[in-house]
Parts: sequence; C-alpha cells; structure tokens
Amino acid sequence: MEGSEEHGETSKAPLSRGVSKGVFILDVILRFVAIIGTLASAIAMGTTNQTLPFFTQFIRFKAQYSDLPTLTFFVVANSIVCAYLILSLPLSIVHVIRSRAKYSRLILIFFDAAMLALVTAGASAAAAIVYLAHKGNARANWLAICQQFDSFCERISGSLIGSFAAMVVLVLLIFLSAIALARR
Amino acid sequence: MSSGEPAAVSIPIHDHHGKAPATSSAVPAAAAAAAPAAAPAVAPRKVGIPFFRRGDHHRGSRCLAFLDFILRIAAFGPALAAAISTGTSDETLSVFTEFYQFRARFDDFPAFLFFLVANAIVAGYLVLSLPFSAVLVIRPQTIGLRLLLLVCDMIMAAMLTAAASAAAAIVDLAHNGNLRANWVAICMQFHGFCQRTSGSVVASFLTVVILMFLVILAACSIRKR
Repeated sequence: MEGSEEHGETSKAPLSRGVSKGVFILDVILRFVAIIGTLASAIAMGTTNQTLPFFTQFIRFKAQYSDLPTLTFFVVANSIVCAYLILSLPLSIVHVIRSRAKYSRLILIFFDAAMLALVTAGASAAAAIVYLAHKGNARANWLAICQQFDSFCERISGSLIGSFAAMVVLVLLIFLSAIALARR
Repeated sequence: MSSGEPAAVSIPIHDHHGKAPATSSAVPAAAAAAAPAAAPAVAPRKVGIPFFRRGDHHRGSRCLAFLDFILRIAAFGPALAAAISTGTSDETLSVFTEFYQFRARFDDFPAFLFFLVANAIVAGYLVLSLPFSAVLVIRPQTIGLRLLLLVCDMIMAAMLTAAASAAAAIVDLAHNGNLRANWVAICMQFHGFCQRTSGSVVASFLTVVILMFLVILAACSIRKR
C-alpha cells in the first residue's frame, strides 16, 4: 500500500534510493541530448543561405531562412528551448545530489510541458513548409521550390531531425519527472 | 434467554445499529438509508454520502480529480468542433474556365488531413478516458492510473500541437502568401474555406491549452496524494 511506503521515508531501502538516483542521472543525460539536438537544429536552419548562379537584370535568386516566417519561428523556438534546457541543467544536477526537493520537480514538469509545446509547434510548422517546398501544391498553384534551391532544401530538411529528436526527449523527461514525483 | 427480547433473534438487516457489516454490505441499496453512520471498519465505498462531503483526508485529491473530469468534458467540445468543421470545408468558386473548376477541399492539403485525423483521435481519446477519470474521483489513491492518464494526456497534447501548428503554417501561407517562393495567397479567392479552417485551428489550440492544464493537474495531484 502507498501509505506504508510514504511514511517510511528515511527507512527506504538502498535499492530504491539507487533507482531514484538512476532516474535523476538519466534526466541529466537526456537534457544534454536535447540541448545538442535543439542547438544543432537552430544553427543548421539559421545558417541557410543559397544563391543561384544565374540571375536576371533586376533580381538575384537567393534563399534564406528569413524569407519564410515559419522557418524564422522555428529558429526562434529552438533557441528558446535550448536556452531553457541549459538553464534547467543545474536544477537537474542538484536533484541528483539531494533528491528531497519538494516543489522544484513540479516546476520542472510545468516548464518542460510548456517547452514541449513550443518545440513541437516550431518543428511541425517547419515540417509543413518543408513538405510544401518539396512537393508543392497543385490545387493552390504553389510550385515546389526544391527543384531550384536544392542545397537550401536539403539543409532545412535535415535540421528538422534534431528538433523532432528533442521533442521525443522532452516527452521522456516529463515522464521521468512524473515517475520521480510518484516514487517520493 | 429472556422472553422479552424477540428482537435479538431477528435478522441484522433490520437493525439500525449495524453490528454485522459483513452481511449488511451485501445489500447496499437497502442499508444505504438505514445506516448513515459509517461502521468502524473502513469500507472502500461509503454509500449514502455524496463524494464531495466525505470528510476523509482525500478531499483535496478528490476535488482535483473532479476538476480533471470537468476539464476533459470541456476539451472534448473544441476538438470535435475542429474536426467536423475541417471535414466539411469544401468551397467551389462561382467562376470556372472550360477545363478547370476552382475548388478547395481539406484533402487538397496533406496538413489539413493530418489535422483532421489528429483532432478526431484526440476527441475519441477524451471520450474514452472519461470513465478512468471518474474512477479517480471515487478512488483518489490510485497513483498508477493517474500516471497513465498523465502520460496519455501528454502524448495526445504533443500530437495535437503538431497537427494544429502544421495547419496554422498552411493557413498563414494561405492568408499572406510568400513573395520569395512565389506562392499566391489563396484566401483572396476562397473566403469561406479560409475562414472555416482558421476557426478550426483556433479551436484546436484551445484544446491543446486545456490538455496541457490537465497534465499539470495530474502532476499536482500525484505530488499531493
């Protein structure tokens, strides 16, 4: 029964304390992975710049991430999530050392959920635009721009991977925090 | 064995002071009105008292579980509305050429198809999770069920956020177009289609907010116990 388990806080078996520490160490490792994922995505998308070799008299064919506002949102969202993850890393490390914090686990879940929503929104909006750039849309008469800007296209497609990986990692992080709350 | 006590040999069910809870709990409907004072042995189900007036130490958890139940019903509405209004979006322009009729439907855009499917899945999930939430109101001490609901809510919220923001990207493109990629804003022609899909994206984001709040609520009640 949970009653007998939660009254014996100091008489917890060393095995379950070890499992709690394992959970918190896994939390720190996953945070590192998510930091790397979001940072790589933001940098890969932010440094897109392709100029086509041919040009007319009046206009030069150039593609950047800032030409599409959705991709700008993607870069901004990934940067914000990366900054949050870096800032929450010390808090996670403190949890490994002393796992008795009362409210900080709840605050961590709250902000992790908010950041999950943000990174999911950015990644999937950019995915919709990248799909449109690859395939176009016959009904709306939108041409697929990947036929001309192929290196730009490859880069914006590849930068989605890191962001989606960070989304999965954030889901796992919230799950771990919920388990840590339930085992307390 | 005095002869002045015929009631001592009568069946315990008719006795007001229920001294035999084992037999009286077998007929809860008959004993409900007759035994308002709870027996000293704690039964898992106290009949006769409404759940919000039981004064045990689970009161806060019960209030949170009830709020969870209400919010689930509230989140079902916008999700279903978004799914239906996207699914019935079909606009045909009155101008047509000889070869081509100008028509816009949700399945011309794969993002809207994903949006429709995700909203339908989330609406179905919210209906299916209502009984589990009701069980949590009655027995607030089941932590495993709360954890399961938290994980499922979070996965559904992430999927719905993905679908809603993909649809929002397409809607934004339809409203504004893009100069660099030479994509024309189709909202100039298809007014009704545009309005309908924009409205359903807004409703879907409302469902996302409620789902996120449900996740936080579940985390609070796991911690509170």
